[in-house]
Amino acid sequence: MAQLLAVEIIYRGVFQKTLAKNITRGIVLAAHNEGKLGISFGRYGDAPERNGIPGKSFAIVASDEQTLEAGMAQYEPKQVDVTVVLDDTLCKGTESWAWYGLRPVNSALKPGRTLIVISLQDAPTLLKNIHRREQPYKLGIVKGIASFSGMWVFKDDHTDVRVLGTIAKALPELFGLASVEKFINEKLKSSLKVTSARTAFERFSAVDVKPGQGNPEELFKFDLPGWGAMRSGVSIKGQPQGGPYADPVTKELGGFRPARNELFKKYSTRIMRPVVNFATCTKCTLCWLNCPDASFDVTPDGTYDANLEACCGCGICEAVCPVKDCIRMVNESEFHDNNSQWVEFKKDKGAYLKSLEATIQKAEPIEKRTHGFRYRGQYQEQVPAALEIANKG
Amino acid sequence: MSTFVDVKPTQNLEAFKGVKKVPHEEYYTSGHRTCQGCQSAQIMKLMAKAAGPRTIILGSTGCMYVANTSYYATPWGVPWMHTQLGSAGSSALGTAAALRVQMRKGAMKDEPINVIAFCGDGGGADMGLGAISATMCHPDYNLLILMYDNESYANTDIQISGASPYGVNTSFSTPGKVKRIMNHRWKKNIAPLMLVGHPTVKYVGTTCTSYPLQAMNSVRKALSIGGPTFIHCLNPCTKGWDFDPLLSFEMGELAVNTGIFPLYEVECGKLKLYGKTDQIAKGKFKRLPVRDYLLKQGRFAHFVDEDIEYFQSKIDEMWDKWLVPGIIPLQKEIEADNPPAK
Repeated sequence: MAQLLAVEIIYRGVFQKTLAKNITRGIVLAAHNEGKLGISFGRYGDAPERNGIPGKSFAIVASDEQTLEAGMAQYEPKQVDVTVVLDDTLCKGTESWAWYGLRPVNSALKPGRTLIVISLQDAPTLLKNIHRREQPYKLGIVKGIASFSGMWVFKDDHTDVRVLGTIAKALPELFGLASVEKFINEKLKSSLKVTSARTAFERFSAVDVKPGQGNPEELFKFDLPGWGAMRSGVSIKGQPQGGPYADPVTKELGGFRPARNELFKKYSTRIMRPVVNFATCTKCTLCWLNCPDASFDVTPDGTYDANLEACCGCGICEAVCPVKDCIRMVNESEFHDNNSQWVEFKKDKGAYLKSLEATIQKAEPIEKRTHGFRYRGQYQEQVPAALEIANKG
Repeated sequence: MSTFVDVKPTQNLEAFKGVKKVPHEEYYTSGHRTCQGCQSAQIMKLMAKAAGPRTIILGSTGCMYVANTSYYATPWGVPWMHTQLGSAGSSALGTAAALRVQMRKGAMKDEPINVIAFCGDGGGADMGLGAISATMCHPDYNLLILMYDNESYANTDIQISGASPYGVNTSFSTPGKVKRIMNHRWKKNIAPLMLVGHPTVKYVGTTCTSYPLQAMNSVRKALSIGGPTFIHCLNPCTKGWDFDPLLSFEMGELAVNTGIFPLYEVECGKLKLYGKTDQIAKGKFKRLPVRDYLLKQGRFAHFVDEDIEYFQSKIDEMWDKWLVPGIIPLQKEIEADNPPAK
């Protein structure tokens, strides 16, 4: 009986590109050990890849050559048997380069199949972000810190083999643990990695997600113009000029909010978000001036409010802000909406500042963050902590 | 002494007097498909803000073309047109000439319209160099060519360009076990090439996105002086240089403070160093070691101490031996060059 199985890896562009490539390669080579054929490839629409942008890598594995060719004839697998999410902040949905709007991470999953997320959070917390769908599926968590590295340097913290071990448990039709171990022994030549894969296999379990369970948010989408609706030549409409906007309390107009590209929002690129203390802001303009995404609205008060639909979370505002703790970057998984912080602040200053105090406690110190290469030797320092989580489970 | 052709500038744009005086209007707004912390997008934003609404921008192929106009959407708020990779110069000259003719014939309203063409380091320092050079030789058209330099062909996944620094890791110069240093070339000295090679050009400047006010004022000065002008802007590239996006600002400052990228402008033949570069030249600021800059970037992670020392010695040479320190690489006496990796 001809069988075609597909695995999709959703990853953070550039930071996890090598990791995703290593995993899909491992899937194909492990399946090889069971006499199956396969191919791994990245999503064409993601290239050229930008850092932080949600990307996808695929592995398809078939029982025979003809079935594999049938699978390869597709642009990308429409339905997959396993989806792996390499960073839990991606659970809010992915907006690729191409013309899709926002897509849930579980959208390609066949009914009853497994979504695997690398996270330190539990399933109910993740389901606050993962969008609901009509078909049931399973959600499994691989406990770990999202493994980020750079374009030229790879952080080898065993995430690749842990995911392979997990897939062997979640989808035994694809390959068994023995094939994964054989692949690691032959190609990666590391007994430590074999242990990591085996531990991940033994520890993994998935919970059932019922239809309708999950984030009820309406997805950001737009109408695609048909070719008859497109303008002559290849001209497209530019952005209009922005203007002042209303204070939520006094209703007076003031400040400045630029017009923004409605067809591409970029917020699904965000790994961390800026949290602003409007009470200590000195209105120095630096965050606004240095933001490459023009994501700061100038409020009627003269302070600067990060527009969370435009912000992609680079952290430059935090780096240039001269006031201590005025702008801090906090992991995106702590938040569940894109509402204006300034509006919250204006409505109830006391409550906002109180919640802010609790929120910035969760901000990681700049030197400990793992979003890309920082200094030579950094990854070697970080790997033991990642391995400890891997071993303790 | 070169003689300058007297050309009436398109308009006189006064320098912004301080960050608080910078207008709120954005002509390059949110929603572009760039990396987190993209400094090339940042100079686009600053350039458009500095030039104002009556501006035509021409963009040659590169990150700032692909990321800004894909899939029927754009962040541009001023007219923008794509031009071929090597034709930033010719398209700018053609547009400036066409505007003048149309206005003279009464086919369009006679009003001040800035013409800016931007190109990446691949489009400017490599492929488009000939066309830019030709454009710089036409002193009676008002235009600005801005080269945003991220030291590689970043859009197509970081291939080596003429502006890539020594020893750097790119898709075309990946270090191996046998050969560690795969790029033996030094960065092309592009702004001095423009100013020495085209003595009638009235404004050639370098700038960096870590100094946004100064970058905007450079653009405004270049647009107000008359004739063709050139700006070289260094943009740290978080993807290709491989550093955490939040270090984007710091990386530009380090490039200047280590003396690797000098900041200066040449206005009608008169050289003016500014910022930390000026302090370095006057001995008021001690250059930071290049190690601080190199080891923060994944693209130099393969460097051993000898490579860093060699890099440092070349930067020292640039400041201590060059006849015009930091800018013109002519020396009275030439010493032997001994790179550690052959």
